[in-house]
Formats: sequence, structure tokens, C-alpha cells
Amino acid sequence: MSVSEQPRGPKLTAWLYQKLFHNYVWRSIFRSGYPNTPRNQMLAIATNVFLHLHPTRLHKTHVKITHTYCLGGLTFFFFLSLTVTGVMLMFYYVPSPERAFSDVAALETNIRFGMLMRNLHRWMAHGMVISVFLHMMRVFYTGSYKPPREFNWLVGVILLTLTLALSFTGYLLPWDQLSIWAVTVGMNMAGTVPLMGQQTQFILLGGFEVGDDALIRFYTLHVIGLPLLAAIFMAVHFWRIRRDGGLARPL
Amino acid sequence: MAVDAKAVTGTSSSLRPRREREQELLVWPDLVFIEFIAAVVFTLAFVILSTVIDAPLLNEANLDITPNPSKAAWYLVSLQELLLHMHPALGGVIAPTFALIILAVIPYADRSNDGQGIWFGTPNAVKITLFSAAFASIFTVGMILYDQGRHVNVVTNIVQHADKDWQWPGYLAPFQNVRAIQTGWTWSVPVPEAAQLGPGEHDGALHWPEDFDHIPMPFNGTSGPDWMRWGPPDFLPGWLQALYWYDLNLNLPAFIVENFIPVVVMVGLPALLIVTMRKMGWVHTVRDGSIAIFTGMMVVYFILTIIGAGFRGAGQDLVLPWDVPHID
Ligand code: HEM
Repeated sequence: MSVSEQPRGPKLTAWLYQKLFHNYVWRSIFRSGYPNTPRNQMLAIATNVFLHLHPTRLHKTHVKITHTYCLGGLTFFFFLSLTVTGVMLMFYYVPSPERAFSDVAALETNIRFGMLMRNLHRWMAHGMVISVFLHMMRVFYTGSYKPPREFNWLVGVILLTLTLALSFTGYLLPWDQLSIWAVTVGMNMAGTVPLMGQQTQFILLGGFEVGDDALIRFYTLHVIGLPLLAAIFMAVHFWRIRRDGGLARPL
Repeated sequence: MAVDAKAVTGTSSSLRPRREREQELLVWPDLVFIEFIAAVVFTLAFVILSTVIDAPLLNEANLDITPNPSKAAWYLVSLQELLLHMHPALGGVIAPTFALIILAVIPYADRSNDGQGIWFGTPNAVKITLFSAAFASIFTVGMILYDQGRHVNVVTNIVQHADKDWQWPGYLAPFQNVRAIQTGWTWSVPVPEAAQLGPGEHDGALHWPEDFDHIPMPFNGTSGPDWMRWGPPDFLPGWLQALYWYDLNLNLPAFIVENFIPVVVMVGLPALLIVTMRKMGWVHTVRDGSIAIFTGMMVVYFILTIIGAGFRGAGQDLVLPWDVPHID
């Protein structure tokens, strides 16, 4: 590390800085010094597994809020928060028709912050559906699907479908009148498709109507199958943004 | 390791804007901080929202008690709304599947780089968006009102002031709603005796709808001369049996109402929209056309969602939002 990159200042702060951010333990975790020089700022991004989804620099139009309105990022934020609150809910929820409803009801009465977790999970799920739609609209109206980003738009359409599927499968889990009938309405639509509708419906429900087998299927899809798929496609989505040269801007 | 990006990706590397280092910012702090603040703001907002409004929990699930109306989740309510106006397979699955496919192929149809990376980057983009939105809203709302058929009562009431015995004439039934084409519309065409096909009593005319609701499909094995009649195809594997239209008869009035007219509307109106804007000199490129289609799809989805969630009461009747029954 060159001397010119040390912050200037009185001796005491320099010493403190050295002790705090250049010590052996800090270096073992973060590799780079405190991000107060361009070099360290880039290293902070590039050497951190979470932050390195980002490039180290980006064009200045892309940090303008009105270019993206943060909508893709917001969708991702909702996904992460839903994972956290969802795991919390899983501690208390048993996907069986005998227990599902009372477990959800108990969140309200017996479990500290249970209702808060359930509400957060619910409202953020709605938030994610809305933000993924808005994100798609911003990508469309800024013409950001144009070459070379065609494939990433396609990945996006898959993510949109996965988001809706996640929300739909989650809808059944509280096992109240709202869930069971919403899912019945939805599944009846699938059942009317010529040739394969009946089979699709049977496979998804594990029977002819929404019952115990449907609950365990929806639960499994909701807590592990679909989130894994969504995470994989998000990884591809973000990777492709970088590969396609960052966000779109006029040629 | 040196792979020529151009060789791998064809043309794509030439499509990239030049990198202008002097226009670039560092992600730390300029982007990371925005993300951090956005995350804090939205976390706080949702924590507040969640302490104020509780997620609904109705009575325990019971398939023996059907709530009226029973509705899908709000983002699927638009499809449920379509079901009221067309065949369930068409409205619930086929149309949305096509919508997703159209979404997916947009970038493969619109391959130019014009107007990339800025809001409404082509000359007519804003005009096209607004016009398509208006067009889609007017037609969607108009068709839903038409299909609900309230105007029949209104018109009947008004005309009955003048003529007490007036009834909506049968030959105008298609103006009541779509379904009336199948159920309320009666007409007949005279048919000479010699032209009669098949057995059955001959009354000298073909009557709509009852003479049209049982038209045998060709080679359905149960109609026509003797040599075209055979038994059920039990020897075929199950999936082939499902594919073969054995003993299938077409209900033409129902087919027209549930499938034909909706498809004509869903294909025809977007086509009309684009042709109109071409005539007006607004639509020149594929990009212009895709703006019209995309806007139309989003607006239709939005309006169907609003109507399905806010204006459908018991029996999926069209009512005002405060008349939608509260389910618990
Ligand atoms: C779970 C869903 C999704 C997540 C988490 C997500 C995330 C993101 C993020 C973080 C960005 C960076 C720029 C921004 O924030 O706008 C982005 C860009 C992009 N997204 Fe998504 N997205 C999702 C769904 C979609 C959908 C539904 C589409 C389109 C159908 C789409 C198409 C794109 C494209 C083409 C870009 C590149 C935009 C550009 O170059 O300016 N994404 N996405």
C-alpha cells in the first residue's frame, strides 16, 4: 500500500486508523483497508462475495433514481426479506390440515412478534409482485431489453412467472377460507385446459380437490422448490447484467 | 484464456456503448449507499405498515362452505374476470400463456437499438403509450359493461314509457350481451326439402340455435353414412384416445360465444390499434408496435384486476365497490 493513499491528518488518528483497519484480524476478513481511497473502494466491492454482484464502477446516469427507480433492486430486497421472515414462520408452522390454521392463528396470540413476522411476510409478498411488474415496465419503457440483453429479458419473464407462482403457492398455507377458495378457483382454471389440464391439476393437488396432499405439495414448492429456482434465475439475471456491459444506455 | 468476445457472441460486443471512464462513478460509495438507504427506508416502511395493518385470516378452510363471491388472489383476479366472458380454458390458461409468450419474444422481434437505455427513447413513444392506454381502457371497460347487459334494462325502461308492451326484439339479442347470441337470438332460414342432410324430422327451415348445437365433427365415428360409423377406439393408448374426437359434436352457438368472438376480439383489437396508429403516422418501427402491444396488455391486466377485485360482488355480478360483500 503506497504512502500517498494514507489519509492525511494528525498523528493520533493515523495511528488509530492503522490499529483499527490495518490490523491482522481485519485484514484476514476484508483483505482491503477501510474504503476511503478509490483503490480501497474498488477493492471493497471486488473482494466481497456479496458486493461483487456489482461492478466496481458504473456510468453516472445509472445511479440516478429516475433511471431505474431501484425497482429491480427492490424486488431483490423483497425476495431476501421474504426469505428471512419466511424462515421465522417455518419455525412455527406445520403444513398439515389439522395444524396449519391453528398455527397461523397462534402467531397472532401466542408468539411474540409472530403477527409482525406474518404481516411483514404477507405485505412484502404483495410488494414483490407489484415491484416485479413495475420493474418490467421500467425495463420495457427504457428500451433496455434491446440487444444484447434479449436473453436477460427472457430470464426476467421466467422470474416474473416464478414470483407469481411463489405467491400463489403461499396463498394456500394459512388454510383459511380465503386460501382454499382462491386456490380452488385458480386450480379449476388449470383443470379446463384441453388434453392436459386434468392431469396438471391432479399432479399439483395430489388429488381431485384442494386437500392435505395439495397442502404439502404447495408447502414444499413454496418453501424450497420455487425459492431455489428463483435464486438460480436471479443469479443468472445479475450475472448477465454484468456480462451485457452493465445497464443499457444509448449507443 | 483470451477468447475473442466477438467470436463468441457474434455481434453483441459491437452493440455496447463506448466506455467513458470519466463519466463513471465508484460503486462504493455512490451506489452502495443508495441501496443501503433504500433498504432501510423500505424495511422501516414495511415494519410500520405491518404493525398498523394485520394480514387477513378468515375462518378455517372448509370446502363445504363456498364463499360468495370466491375470488382468486388479486394478481390472478384478471384471469377470473376473463372467465366470465369466454371459455375457461381460453381465459384462464391459453390467453395468459400467449401473453407470456408475447412478452418473452418482444426482444427477438424488436432488434434495433434505437431508443435504448432512456425513458421513451423514440420520437413517438409517449404518444403511442398514451393512445394505446386510452384505447385499451375504453374497449375493456366498454366490453365488460356490454357483456354485463345493464343497458338492456335502461333502454327497456325508457322505451316502455312510450310503448308499455315493448320488449327487446329477439333479432337484436346480440346487442344485449355475448351470451344472448347463444340463448336469446332466434332466427331461421328456409331450407328446401331436397337439401336436407341426415335423418330427423324436416320442418322446412334451419333454426338458430337449436339446429346448430349438435354438429358432428368430421370422422367422429358416430355420424354420416354407415361406412363412417365405428366403435370407440379402445385399442388406442389412452393419450391418443384423448386426442381423437370420438363421438364429438360441435355446439356451434356456444363455440362462437365462448371461443370465436373472444379470440377475434383479443387478436383484432390490438391489430386495429396498430393499424390505426400506422394510419395516423405514429407507428413506423417494430419498437413502436411493441410499445402499443405491451402498453395494451399492461392496461388490460390492470383494468381487469381493478374490476375483478373491486367491482365483482355475489355471483360475480358487476356492482359498486361498497356493495361487494365482505367475506369471513
Ligand atoms: C424476481 C424478479 C427480478 C429481480 C430480483 C430483478 C432484478 C434486477 C436488477 C437488480 C436489475 C438491475 C437494474 C434495475 O434495478 O432496474 C435488473 C435489470 C434488468 N431486468 Fe430484472 N429483475 C427481476 C425480474 C425481471 C423481469 C420480470 C424482467 C422482464 C421481463 C426483467 C428484465 C431485466 C432486464 C432486461 C434488465 C437489464 C436492464 C438494463 O440493462 O437497464 N427482470 N433486474
